Amino acid sequence: MFTFLSRRPLLALALTGAFAFSPAQAADEPIKIGAIYIMSGSAASYGKFAEQGIRLAMDEINGSGGVLGRQLALQLEDGQGKAAVAIQAARKLVYQDKADVLMGLDSSGVAQGLVPVLPELQKPFIITHAATPDVTGKLCNAYTYRVSVNVHQNMQGAAAVAAKTGAKKWTTIGPDYAFGHQSWEFFSKYLKEKSPDAELMKETAFPRFGAEDFTPFINGVMENKPDGVLISLWGGDLVNFVRQANNRGFFKQGFQVLLTVGAATEVLTALGDQMPEGVWLGTRYWYGAHDNELNKKFVAAYQKAYGTPPSYNAEGAYIAVHAFKAAAEKAGSVDGKAVAKALSGLSIPAPTGTLAFRSADNQALIGPTWGRTGPMNTQDKIRSLTDVQAFDGAKITPPADPACQLKPL
Amino acid sequence: MGSIGMALLNSLDIGLLLFVIAVGLNIIFGVLNIINFAHGALYMLGAYLAYSCIGMWGMPFWLTLLIAPLAVAALAVAIDRLMLRFIYQRDISDSLLLTFALLLILNESVRLVWGTGIYVVDPPTLLQGTVHFPGGITYPIYSLFVVGVGLVFLVGLWFLFNRTRLGKIMRAAALDREMAQVLCINTRTVITGAFAFGAWLAAVGGVVAAPMRAIDPGMGDKIIIESFIVVVIGGLGSFPGALLGAIVLGLIYGLGGRFLPDVNLVLPFVGMAIVLLLKPHGLLGKGAAS
Repeated sequence: MFTFLSRRPLLALALTGAFAFSPAQAADEPIKIGAIYIMSGSAASYGKFAEQGIRLAMDEINGSGGVLGRQLALQLEDGQGKAAVAIQAARKLVYQDKADVLMGLDSSGVAQGLVPVLPELQKPFIITHAATPDVTGKLCNAYTYRVSVNVHQNMQGAAAVAAKTGAKKWTTIGPDYAFGHQSWEFFSKYLKEKSPDAELMKETAFPRFGAEDFTPFINGVMENKPDGVLISLWGGDLVNFVRQANNRGFFKQGFQVLLTVGAATEVLTALGDQMPEGVWLGTRYWYGAHDNELNKKFVAAYQKAYGTPPSYNAEGAYIAVHAFKAAAEKAGSVDGKAVAKALSGLSIPAPTGTLAFRSADNQALIGPTWGRTGPMNTQDKIRSLTDVQAFDGAKITPPADPACQLKPL
Repeated sequence: MGSIGMALLNSLDIGLLLFVIAVGLNIIFGVLNIINFAHGALYMLGAYLAYSCIGMWGMPFWLTLLIAPLAVAALAVAIDRLMLRFIYQRDISDSLLLTFALLLILNESVRLVWGTGIYVVDPPTLLQGTVHFPGGITYPIYSLFVVGVGLVFLVGLWFLFNRTRLGKIMRAAALDREMAQVLCINTRTVITGAFAFGAWLAAVGGVVAAPMRAIDPGMGDKIIIESFIVVVIGGLGSFPGALLGAIVLGLIYGLGGRFLPDVNLVLPFVGMAIVLLLKPHGLLGKGAAS
């Protein structure tokens, strides 16, 4: 053992160092936020918007005295949209970087893998994008919170929009993982409740995430002649889909088209006027939908800082930092357990109105926004949304899943 | 009938685009004995250059198709002179490591230059719109153009390798580098040229794909996986193998996506597994050159 160490002086030094300095935190040391988003690959723009949202919130908070008198610092990790990578990143953030709070996650598949690991890390995790109901359902735990709209909430909105269109025969095109399948499952459930005579077709299409060519699926749906199509593709997939669908005249077939996360500014900016008019778009947050002071201030500050309107991912990340601040101040400390406890049932003002975590499952009671694409918004160079409807989270969120049994901390 | 026809046509444009990209991978493997992990990144670079030329500087599509792949080929010459030439004689796993590093460098460079946003490029006016075939088949003109490009390359490459001196020199260098050298062939130039040519093919694929695919930082990683499936099915290093593999994968995507949408995710891998079980070197492969 000792000869081993003596041959490797640097290693010995490092080991000594690790034991010599205890991680006692000085009051002037910054509080560390550990964030995990997709920062590379096709969906990297989602991660970038999230980072911008976090930095905007941090600048606001740090500029007005920080949290409990301490500044906030950010450590950002690329989860690559892979569960194994995200789990490793979370462990690194907590054990090596000593993060005080964790946030992030763009993919439902990643969230399903990471959430069960969180109790072991003993730091609160605020999910800001991933939408699978499982993480506030059967996989829920006392360290996991979600500020963003989940599939239940979004599909309640989608079903309400779908029922109003009067279309009877519905099918779907969605990515072949949790998000795509669960979107269709809950859309079917809620649509049946709202219009019992709706027909949910057996012929559905779930292309693989990142499929590049969606033409076979587009042709399939067009030949099945539905009255309405629910599409839960997102990111580069959605951009590919819309362009290839335009090529085939998909949007001119007379059926209703609902893009469940279509009003992501990441996608709308890329597509410009290639996003057709008259398509229903859902989103977790729409910058033009909320007429309150906080939203106006947020949108103005965001546009000033980054020259583009905030996407839903930016808003989710922004509000998560504020939620952490509120919880830490309520708890009077940044101890993981104390903050997690303080987050339970917490209610804070947000651009979408008051945002409240439900203490039964730690899901924020917020609603999606749905609207129909209209003429180009020449200032932001994206399609405008008309008939905008912001759903009230308190009304549309279904009761907490009984499968979620939170153990008190 | 119409739906099968449409699916077949769709398979053809998917397959032939893959062929142009994968054949470059095969040429590089054949001549350099290197499995080029960065091939997808070179394809992506072609597409991003197309976005800059067409979308930002207003260059015509046709000029871009000429210039962008040449720029990527020039970069490939530099890559070969600065990096690859040191590992020609090494084990193939070294080239995997090196080209994987290259892939990371290129991916990150693209992100630094163009950011993380998703971009789109419009097809040239001449190629916009759809055509109608008998049997109720509508088909985008641009996809027809992609099929045309694929066929031109198919014939052109066949001619190059079988009927021209240059092609024969490349094949000679691939078969036995030392013997070629003894016969006064400047193998150094041939090898660099083959790598640049393979990269050029990838970039042509990127420019051709730009008007119909979303240009995003992940597009290279997607195409490299598909190209590997193509060469595994068709046979590594085989020219007809690249064609066969690309057509098979095109059919798997085109017909599978249309008629078996529920299992489309696994079909390419099932196809690959079946081929590997029956013919471990691919349908037309002769095994890795020693």
